[in-house]
Amino acid sequence: MKRVSLALISFCSLAVAAAPPKTVRPVAEPPKPVSFRLDVMPVFFRAGCNSGGCHGAASGKDGFHLSLFGYDPAGDYYRLTQQMVGRRIDVSEPAQSLLLKKAVGSVPHSGGERFKPDSPYYKTLLRWIEAGAPDDSDSVPQVTGISLVPDKVVFGSLEEKKATSKPLQVVAKYSDGTTRVVNQLALYVTNNKGTADINENGVVTAGKSGDTFVFARFAKYTTGAEIIVLPKEKFKWPKVVENNYIDTIVDNKLKNLHITPSEVCGDEEFLRRATLDLTGLPPTPEEYAAFMADKSEDKRTKLVDTLLAKDEFADVWATKWAEILKITTDNGNQFGTDRKAAFAYYDWIREQMRKNVPVDKFVRAQLASTGSTFDEPASNLYTMLPQGQYDPKAVAQDIAQVFTGMRIQCAQCHNHPFDRWTQNDYYSFVSFFTGVKRKVGAESREMFVWDDPNAAPAKHLLDNRPMPARFLGGDAPDVTGKDPRVALAEWLTSKDNTMFRQNIANRVWGHFMGRGIVEPVDDVRISNPPSNRELLEELGKRLAGYDYDIKKLVRDICLSRTYQLSSAPNATNKDDDSQFSHAKLRRLRADVLLDAIDTATETKTNFGSYPAGLRAMQLYEGTKRSGNYFLKTFGISSRDSVNVSETRLEPTLSQALHLINGDTLEGKLRNSPVVADLLKENKKPDEIFDALYVRALGRKPSAEEEQKLKVLVAGKETDRKAYDDIFWALLNSTEFSFNH
Amino acid sequence: MSDFNAKPHVCGGPVVPSFFGRRSFVQAGVLGGLGLTMGDYFRLRAGIVRSPNGAKLPEGKAKSVIQIYFPGGVAQQETWDPKPEAPIEFRGPLGVVKTKIPGVVFSENLSRTAAIADKISVVRSITGRIPDHAQATYHMFTGYLPSPAILHPCMGSVVSNQFGPKNNMPPFVGLPNVPAQAGTGYLSSKFGAFELGGDPAQRDFRVRDIAMAKSMTDDRFAARRSAREAVEDHFRVLEKSPAELDAMDDFYAQAYKLINSPEARKAFTLDGETDAMTKLYGEYKRPNGQPFSISRQLMLARRLVEAGVRFVTVMYSGTQGWDNHTGIRESMNQGLPAFDHAFAGLITDLEQRGLLDTTIVMVTSEFGRTPKINETAGRDHWARVYSQVLAGGGITRGNIYGVTSATAAEADQNPVTVEDYLATVYHQLGINCEDRLMAPGDRPIDIVRGGKHVESLIG
Repeated sequence: MKRVSLALISFCSLAVAAAPPKTVRPVAEPPKPVSFRLDVMPVFFRAGCNSGGCHGAASGKDGFHLSLFGYDPAGDYYRLTQQMVGRRIDVSEPAQSLLLKKAVGSVPHSGGERFKPDSPYYKTLLRWIEAGAPDDSDSVPQVTGISLVPDKVVFGSLEEKKATSKPLQVVAKYSDGTTRVVNQLALYVTNNKGTADINENGVVTAGKSGDTFVFARFAKYTTGAEIIVLPKEKFKWPKVVENNYIDTIVDNKLKNLHITPSEVCGDEEFLRRATLDLTGLPPTPEEYAAFMADKSEDKRTKLVDTLLAKDEFADVWATKWAEILKITTDNGNQFGTDRKAAFAYYDWIREQMRKNVPVDKFVRAQLASTGSTFDEPASNLYTMLPQGQYDPKAVAQDIAQVFTGMRIQCAQCHNHPFDRWTQNDYYSFVSFFTGVKRKVGAESREMFVWDDPNAAPAKHLLDNRPMPARFLGGDAPDVTGKDPRVALAEWLTSKDNTMFRQNIANRVWGHFMGRGIVEPVDDVRISNPPSNRELLEELGKRLAGYDYDIKKLVRDICLSRTYQLSSAPNATNKDDDSQFSHAKLRRLRADVLLDAIDTATETKTNFGSYPAGLRAMQLYEGTKRSGNYFLKTFGISSRDSVNVSETRLEPTLSQALHLINGDTLEGKLRNSPVVADLLKENKKPDEIFDALYVRALGRKPSAEEEQKLKVLVAGKETDRKAYDDIFWALLNSTEFSFNH
Repeated sequence: MSDFNAKPHVCGGPVVPSFFGRRSFVQAGVLGGLGLTMGDYFRLRAGIVRSPNGAKLPEGKAKSVIQIYFPGGVAQQETWDPKPEAPIEFRGPLGVVKTKIPGVVFSENLSRTAAIADKISVVRSITGRIPDHAQATYHMFTGYLPSPAILHPCMGSVVSNQFGPKNNMPPFVGLPNVPAQAGTGYLSSKFGAFELGGDPAQRDFRVRDIAMAKSMTDDRFAARRSAREAVEDHFRVLEKSPAELDAMDDFYAQAYKLINSPEARKAFTLDGETDAMTKLYGEYKRPNGQPFSISRQLMLARRLVEAGVRFVTVMYSGTQGWDNHTGIRESMNQGLPAFDHAFAGLITDLEQRGLLDTTIVMVTSEFGRTPKINETAGRDHWARVYSQVLAGGGITRGNIYGVTSATAAEADQNPVTVEDYLATVYHQLGINCEDRLMAPGDRPIDIVRGGKHVESLIG
């Protein structure tokens, strides 16, 4: 492709894949008058004048304010031309305009020199002022979208031969059907400079091998292009089995990237991995014995089906939902976040999970809920998310994030700079929730939730105009006299809604793979693209095709070869952390870790005022009420926000100290019947080692390990303490605290 | 082609709640957006690239740091930069107190600090960028604005990474914790803060789990360690030592050292502190009768530093935090006296022990507050200018640096960016913040980008 060089104001015709443009402006057209919106505003954008650190700050900078990234051209025109007449813009002596002198740094400017007097940017501004600094009405064509051409480059491939750089074109589409190459006005970023850098002209340079994205921003739009840099080494794809469509798609990508997947993991590994992921518990000695004794071909399939049918599977998902729906309590308030209500909500969620209610139905019931938080527990959505006073904006943001993974909050104050959402989208979405009313019931812990169909919609921040309810990136339903949440629930959970189906699928995928295809799973935006778009699309499609039956999707994932890969990497995939070429080592969540210790030691944890016998995975309001030090130290979700990252998995010194010295493990070793029973049955040291290893690690010790342990118990073969010490070591091991 | 030094994008956006839980940080990263990094991509600058696990640096003049942090954005007007001449709606409800430095006053609740003002420096001209708690906190702790592409390590983690542990003490300690924004970023989580939890003002205060149970014998403990080694050896061979496991290993090594060192463990207690010390740091009670923890926390911080900890972050929230949108007077009158006494005590104590020259004490917050008192008798967020304190470790003494406008709204003289402020502390520790650390994917990242140490603050 020819390198683009263009005069700022020339329009180009381009063969863009979409619908052909209505009018085509030839390149050689005589210069047009400079347009404020089409030519001047983009200069402020490109030069950074209206960025948030400068005049785009909420209160401007050094007395001059521009709208952030130019979301309010009319206001910007007013401030430039009317606010201090003759100062910023001097039409009698254009070159004396403060705007120009500041921009080139010829007078003191906190922002320094933004561009040079001989730059096209300067000329654009000067010509505009010379022409009398005219406004152009709102009828000038609006940018309706941008694209990067090409949107995928594979360096090192046959097409690109030995090229090390490639120019991309940023093509803006306008509402009048024209297109324009805006490379000189766009801003560029790369997600990984090491693999692909992009310069201020939109030229991509290849670096070390890898797969990343570069982005261009123009007007309110951001778009990305995938850049793959192939390794130079020869590559031969091994012969591998494809269990299902997941493997086909993942393998295609790996072939492209010259990455060889790891081997399939062994039976012991698979049993432990699948049992922990599906039920939040380690396999019991009985489950271990049965699985290892089973010689049938399809024993992994049978295992997955058995685990999927367990109530513990439902418990895991009930807790995961409870975390992002912020189920926590604060007794004695007027906001409905009482324990009784929280328990009703959690219990309802768990019931839905146990019955395997399709996720679309589950979500609809909550979104469109009305009634008592006790009798219609789904209505707790509107008490637990706010955790206090009801604010339709905060609830709308939370709901967008929980059910689509998108974070629209930036657009409250300005158009989202790195995503598609504008203030219009934001306030129109908020309008679905402006009618929600709440009232404390006769019983003070109970709250009634309903919708007032006559409530006014949200008002736009800029001009206070009412913004009727409109789906995110979609239509405005007719909700006159109706509860708009019903229409929203239908639209959101429809089978065609890729935002919903892909986000739910991605959350499920992320649970089993330790990483979402979009990661984090609740930060979906154009500038955070999926690591394998085709896979995400296919999983979303399948989920909808399964009528939103999560279990069917989980089954596909767990039976794929991709899920069953070993965590041991090879030379080609050791640096891969996004293409699922090997299993990811994942530290167990705090609740799973504690339940695993309890299961291995056959003890129970007492969670304060919770009923006895509950597992950590069943605490309906998390650790708040139990005040359990172990759970807190190992990073259980605080449920303070809808972010999945409230669940923390990184190791700390406090964790190591607590496992080494703390009362949790020490108490459990003391109370555990396991070693005592084994000794009572006169088991020999190696039998006891086997039993403890199976309980903790889901495997038998190696010969070498057994050798080392025998030395440690020599002379103390019947001393419980000696075996407690080995049990301690197993429960303190990295292998125990990681799913691998 | 013209040169665009495009400045980072900020979001003047919604007000974040004033409490600090272990809030996820990704959110702030998104608000921060990605246009911030044009400079990143267009600029190539020479600088040393340090391995994140490489050789340890020689120490600078300052050996350790005690960072006191006021979460919420404490008002400059009611602390270090009062404006007694301004009209009442700007001046606020509080009076002033003369300091040891002629012509310089602090707000009335800082009388003890005023009396040692000749030992500290106040930077009244810190210029921040973002009046948003999460983002500004990240900025203050890391020197960077949040980015969706990469997480940056906080100062304590960088110090931990560059110097490593001393005398079996963990290099970086949080009292009782550090904000969620003070993470290890692209560095291994092994450089994270050891958060003590607990409140040293409570009579039965003990740092959890650092001592072996009484029933445990050295022999048994050794046997446990050997058995664990056997299991670890097996797993490490299988897993080829991926990075995920390194941090875990490191924490076990650190834990064993701590458990086996009585001297190190003793530093985590207040055993043997005299009544005179208690008097020096002060004893204050909250309206509910519970003691304020700040005096004991600072005493403990001094013990930790004395024992070899390199970076201690102390969080102090007074009675209601410092995000005083309402009733600023009450918040200040309740929370500041305990701080004032403890802080003046700490400086005096460090001086008497000969530790002040090697210990930097910072008093920081994420931003300041609006010039004008609002309708609810509070002040709102203001990042444009605010005050921070620096003392010890070779920092000037009795230096009131930078001048703000008549209503403490703008920096009129000597503005100091957050980056400059951090660079000054790094400089004293012996870290050139123009050096770069290697982030995953072989991405060299400046320790602080665009910060220069302030010569006039170095004594």
